[in-house]
Amino acid sequence: MSDYIVEMKHITKRFPGIVANDDVSIGIKKGEIFALLGENGAGKSTLMSILSGMYEPDEGEVYIRGEKVQISSPNHAAKLNIGMVHQHFKLVPDYTITENIILGIEPMKRFAGIFPYVDIQSANRKIEELSKSFGLEVDPKKRITDLTVSMQQRVEILKVLYREAEILIFDEPTAVLTPQEIEFLLDIIEGLRQGGKTIILITHKLDEIKKVADRCAVLNKGKLIDVLDVKETSTNYMAQLMVGREVSFESAKTPAQMKDEVLKVENLTVKNEDGFEVVKDVSFSIRGGEIFAIAGVADNGQVEIADAIAGLTKVSSGKILLNEQDITDERIRKRTEAGISYIPEDRQSVGLILDFDVATNLALKQYYKEPFSRNGILNKEEFDQFGNRLIEKYDIRSGQGIQTQVRSMSGGNQQKAIIAREIELQSPLMIFVQPTRGVDIGAIENIHKMMIQERDKGKAILLVSLELDEIMDVADTIGVIYNGRLQKVASSESLTKNEVGEYMMGAKHG
Amino acid sequence: MDKDKRKLNLSKIIFKPIRNEKWQPITIPVVSIVISFIAAAIVILLIGKNPLQAFYNLLQGAGIMPKPAYAGYKSMLTDFLSLLNAMTPLVFASLAVAVALKAGLFNIGVSGQMLVSGFIATIIVGYSGLDAIIAKPLVLVVGFITGGLVGGLVGWLKYRFNINEVVSTIMLNYTAQYIISFFIQMYYIDPLSRQSKYVSEEARLTLVNVEMANLKMDIPLGFILAIVVAILLKFLLDRTVVGYEIKAVGANRKAAKFAGINVGKNMVLAMVISGGLAGLAGVTYYLGYYASIQPKVLSSMGFDSIAVSLLGNIHPIGIIFSSFLVSIIDQGSTYMSSQAGIRQEIASVIIGLILLFSACGAYLKHKASQLKEKNVDRKERRS
Repeated sequence: MSDYIVEMKHITKRFPGIVANDDVSIGIKKGEIFALLGENGAGKSTLMSILSGMYEPDEGEVYIRGEKVQISSPNHAAKLNIGMVHQHFKLVPDYTITENIILGIEPMKRFAGIFPYVDIQSANRKIEELSKSFGLEVDPKKRITDLTVSMQQRVEILKVLYREAEILIFDEPTAVLTPQEIEFLLDIIEGLRQGGKTIILITHKLDEIKKVADRCAVLNKGKLIDVLDVKETSTNYMAQLMVGREVSFESAKTPAQMKDEVLKVENLTVKNEDGFEVVKDVSFSIRGGEIFAIAGVADNGQVEIADAIAGLTKVSSGKILLNEQDITDERIRKRTEAGISYIPEDRQSVGLILDFDVATNLALKQYYKEPFSRNGILNKEEFDQFGNRLIEKYDIRSGQGIQTQVRSMSGGNQQKAIIAREIELQSPLMIFVQPTRGVDIGAIENIHKMMIQERDKGKAILLVSLELDEIMDVADTIGVIYNGRLQKVASSESLTKNEVGEYMMGAKHG
Repeated sequence: MDKDKRKLNLSKIIFKPIRNEKWQPITIPVVSIVISFIAAAIVILLIGKNPLQAFYNLLQGAGIMPKPAYAGYKSMLTDFLSLLNAMTPLVFASLAVAVALKAGLFNIGVSGQMLVSGFIATIIVGYSGLDAIIAKPLVLVVGFITGGLVGGLVGWLKYRFNINEVVSTIMLNYTAQYIISFFIQMYYIDPLSRQSKYVSEEARLTLVNVEMANLKMDIPLGFILAIVVAILLKFLLDRTVVGYEIKAVGANRKAAKFAGINVGKNMVLAMVISGGLAGLAGVTYYLGYYASIQPKVLSSMGFDSIAVSLLGNIHPIGIIFSSFLVSIIDQGSTYMSSQAGIRQEIASVIIGLILLFSACGAYLKHKASQLKEKNVDRKERRS
């Protein structure tokens, strides 16, 4: 009993319209890496928010080191040596690493015994030691703006370590990282464990759990399904428990039935804001019934290609033809009407208006047309009917139906709403940019299925993804981009994953 | 323990009415106002006066409650009409602020836009000698167009050169103030009043000293228009494509662009509407409530309207009520000071307190939801 450092017993937490945690009991041993696995909205984050003092449970008890506690605030949690590394970083960009870390608990000294000042020097030293001892390797004097995402994450980790956290909660830590960075982070986590820390890892990536975690609790719809010993469990079984049904990792895809050419891109060149060419002389075409995927390491110009086609970025030279119609200089709305659906990478700041409700967001691309409006007057009933129909058809889960503010929905359901809206446009060309980023396995499977379904209806699909597995699974044709140039375009059967990887790194040229 | 209980009861009284989220847009301002009146009562008690008496005097002065005696040709009705007369430009000005806020823009130049519109309408129509039936509508049209142009300029500067609208509107306030002051002093000055010459009765939007039932009253024609415009604006924002686009641009510019909405056009349009409404405020102020313009003075109404707009939840109908309340305090303050011996400035203190507490609306909301959770916890622990 007392070998658990954290024990949560019969935790129930309700929100309006939803039970986020339903009688969940878990115990975490000192010095282990404990993973929490579950789909978006399964209740992982809520459970950990209770542990880190953001919420109080409606029912149930929390024991830390065998003592019953009521964690009332994040500060209280910090006193109990619990620290959370958030998915979205909370850093001041213009401050140095040290300044960020000591924020709120600045070490003070007095100059000439009177005038207080912040003792940056000693803080710098302490942070350097701390970072070395856990293999984090940061320069404490650097400013946050100059750091990469993975470095910023390390600062977040250091922040909780500096506050002497013994129990570290990582909320989806790998969602924003590249594959190499993920490797590194997992090493860091392993290092922290060896340093005597207890780690709780919230994630829905099974391979990461398999790699580092000792035990793993699976949550589904707020309920605890099982606590598994990771070494003795297959990823497939874990996935099954998490989703509550059998998951097919290989998408059931029939060979493509290609039709006429829908999109043709000729010698496309795009410059970024600094006038630097990020897309260089790219040409390709997509036919109806084909999924064309652009593979590449992040920031090699693939997003700019998608943006240029949709009209979000200016084309500096080249041509874009949709169904043989030149749309290179058309406005965004004209392109949408000409037949482009677009699922953007940044769903929260581009794809949705978070303060609007679901119905309003679902109508975002059609509100100005009949039957949504007539002579400039909106038809609210049509908004509601359309919203209800899409919620039903695409299984968009929200607390209060069409009136739910999109901000309060989980990431996966936000993505479902966007995809629903874009599919309903019935466009001959659909562009998906990183459609499965940050969504759980069940939803990924679903999104892939929808993509293939749309393909089979004869649509041309452009997929931009950083996940090579995803591309290998769903694409019919793969174009590999490196440094703004398409290195290779070939059918997916003719390429192996390794070959694509080599083109992606620029090690091999087509 | 006992103290704890009492504290709990107090917070219950404050937060119970605002627990229902559906009604919060109404209950939060109401509770804010009640709290601010309690705070104002404390202030009045501190200077040794009776707060209930003072509040009653405020209502009497504003024509809501009868005074014990009236001068000749005056009654409660005439007081009430002059309240509406003063309230009319405030409604327009607050609506102007609200439209801009919906589009994510902060129009702090309502005062300047009011002045420009009032001035242009004064020199074009006010001194023209046109018949009332032409002059009055023309004043409104000129006011709306002039204000709309000034607002549109601000929107265009923002869209074309990315000039922050706060900066450009403040600068335009000064520009308008001094240029117009120059013209008034050079060409339109009334040497006795040191203000611009009075506009003709025909052009004025308030019918002054209308004799009816042995009373002389000021009838603010613009008031009806203000109510109609508020309702129209609500319809525009909630039920039309234009309103949808403006709100989308205000809520998330990137997403609006992605959805194919012309962001620049909508920003300019929102500022044209906002400026136009400020123009209506200007003509109902300078050619209604007053009939002349004081040079080198910018009306404080354009700034008060920001707070009134927020107190009304940036909602057109809410703004009618918040303008009404603020106007009562404003109008009643003279009577209060003469009757209760409380300085007129106390009325400003009350308005200040109301606005201060209404700005705390977000805090009240947060506190209410927190309390709700705690109550649920307590009940469960007990059972």
